[in-house]
Amino acid sequence: MTALLTTYVLMWPVIVFGVLATIVSGFAKDAKEARDEGRSII
Amino acid sequence: MPPQGEIVQLGIIGVIVLLLLFYGGTMLMSVAISRKKENADDYMTAGNKIGFGVSAASMTATWIWASSMYASVTAGYTYGVSGPIHYGLWGALMILFIYPFGKRIRAVAPRAHTLAEVMYARHGRSSQLMLAGSNVLGSVISLTSNFIAGGAIIAMLSPLNFGHGILIIAAGVLLYTLWSGFRASVLTDFAQVLAMLGAAVIIIPAVFFLAGGPSMFADGVASGNVTPQQESFFSSDAFMNQGAPYIAAVLAYAIGNQTIAQRLFAVREDLIKPTFITATIGYGGTVIGIGMLGVMALYLGVEPMGGDINNLMPQMVGTYLPAALVALAFIMIIGSLSSTADSDLSALSSIVMTDIYGQSVGRKNVNPKLMIFIGRLTMIIATGLALYFATAKFNILDLLVFVGALWGCLVFPVIASFYWKKVTNAAFTISVIAALVVFLPVRFQLIPLTGAWALFVELLAIVGVGVVLGIMAFGFFGLRPAMIIGAVATLAVLPFGFGYLRDFETLSGSLVAYSVSFLVCYLLSVRSSQNFDYSVIKRITGDFDDETPTSDEDVRGDEDPVTANRGTAN
Repeated sequence: MTALLTTYVLMWPVIVFGVLATIVSGFAKDAKEARDEGRSII
Repeated sequence: MPPQGEIVQLGIIGVIVLLLLFYGGTMLMSVAISRKKENADDYMTAGNKIGFGVSAASMTATWIWASSMYASVTAGYTYGVSGPIHYGLWGALMILFIYPFGKRIRAVAPRAHTLAEVMYARHGRSSQLMLAGSNVLGSVISLTSNFIAGGAIIAMLSPLNFGHGILIIAAGVLLYTLWSGFRASVLTDFAQVLAMLGAAVIIIPAVFFLAGGPSMFADGVASGNVTPQQESFFSSDAFMNQGAPYIAAVLAYAIGNQTIAQRLFAVREDLIKPTFITATIGYGGTVIGIGMLGVMALYLGVEPMGGDINNLMPQMVGTYLPAALVALAFIMIIGSLSSTADSDLSALSSIVMTDIYGQSVGRKNVNPKLMIFIGRLTMIIATGLALYFATAKFNILDLLVFVGALWGCLVFPVIASFYWKKVTNAAFTISVIAALVVFLPVRFQLIPLTGAWALFVELLAIVGVGVVLGIMAFGFFGLRPAMIIGAVATLAVLPFGFGYLRDFETLSGSLVAYSVSFLVCYLLSVRSSQNFDYSVIKRITGDFDDETPTSDEDVRGDEDPVTANRGTAN
């Protein structure tokens, strides 16, 4: 039970890290496209 | 046993430096994208073509507000291991359930600014005002709630008091949002989501290991800190008191909240799906993860400071973490409340610009400069109102429940209006009012839930279960599977719903709102001869500013919205 609960608590930061990486890489892509097209990112 | 003593304080200098860094940074981002002459449409929707990274960050940051973090921690502490799931998972899934409807809304109104504007094109003024009015109320309440959360955290971690705290937060958010509106809100969301998610990644494991690590679970059980229900991943207490009412309420929030609709109209149309999926996982992971602080507090036997369970999150952080990580947690909370507060300001300004000024003078007669001035003035007035409510100690929870119910009454009529040509303005308006009339006495127990009244309410609530599940299924699978799922769900609840649901007035109230609005809207529409032409919406909604670039598919309507032919009668 201890191992299960430990995994349960610690799995969320791992998931959040994955989402953070996805968003950062998406933002970098948006910024590059905007720069290449000579416009503002927003 | 948890350590006794005072929690780590950041000090007045520390808090001011952190706030200056945070709001100074967001202000710089806002200045970087500011234009000498802002475009009225961009001020509300940023040109309807935001990329994936910015939109996913913005949707995630907006959906995570300070209250969601506090509530998840409370759920973990109250209901144990399944508590955060019954708060965060359902909230996350609602983002996912909304996306198919979002695609439909965007398809029929590609360049709209608000959902109320679309309702005006679909039905007319009364439907528009109902949606716009509930949006305004909801956004002001949300703004107030975020200011209160900011004031409370500043008061707890520094010598500054609550009043100083809400003033600093209000000024900081208003300053960076005022000039560029939605564009500033969306871009700063990226920095805020970095702070929030980055902090969550570090703080959750840090508290876990510094508070004792895996042994806290066995020790907590041995000390009698947890009940069998709190140890269970399948707690019926957690589902009936936390999860089930939230499933119903959050579907309403996702449809009724203009901050979500605004991002729906802003993101590039082909990116709606990945944006919503990313935000679903991001919201779920972060909010459930932060809820683990409540679970840990439960196992550790922590007593909330001053008996106030809302103190639990800063208390856990301040008790177990060093000052540097407390500062990180402080930024996480400030980021979460600021990102939602700036979205509320942008939403409010868009509603007033579009649904009050724009519709009153007509799209062809709009003065874009005046329109933006009205938007900025709205932000200032809304900030003042929220500050007043925050200091006047209104019961925010009651107000949130009321707005949630109001949106619950709107969900079926709004969604049906986008798919069913027969729904009329009268059906929309009467169904929403009828649902509210039945909801209020149930939720606030104005009439005791006993005897025939209780049986009637339970019957409506049982139908409501089918309506909620049917709506969810409809978005993904279409009408026939939705009808089957709705009917099966209603029949499945029928045997045990009577005599049982009356004990859960929050859940029953929400379900009644859905069922009454569904029944009245359906019965008033089914025999209607209206055959609405959805292309009218595209012609009536659209850009206000002449300098907004138009795409090939954008239809610049010259039609008078009032006299536009909304369809034919068969």
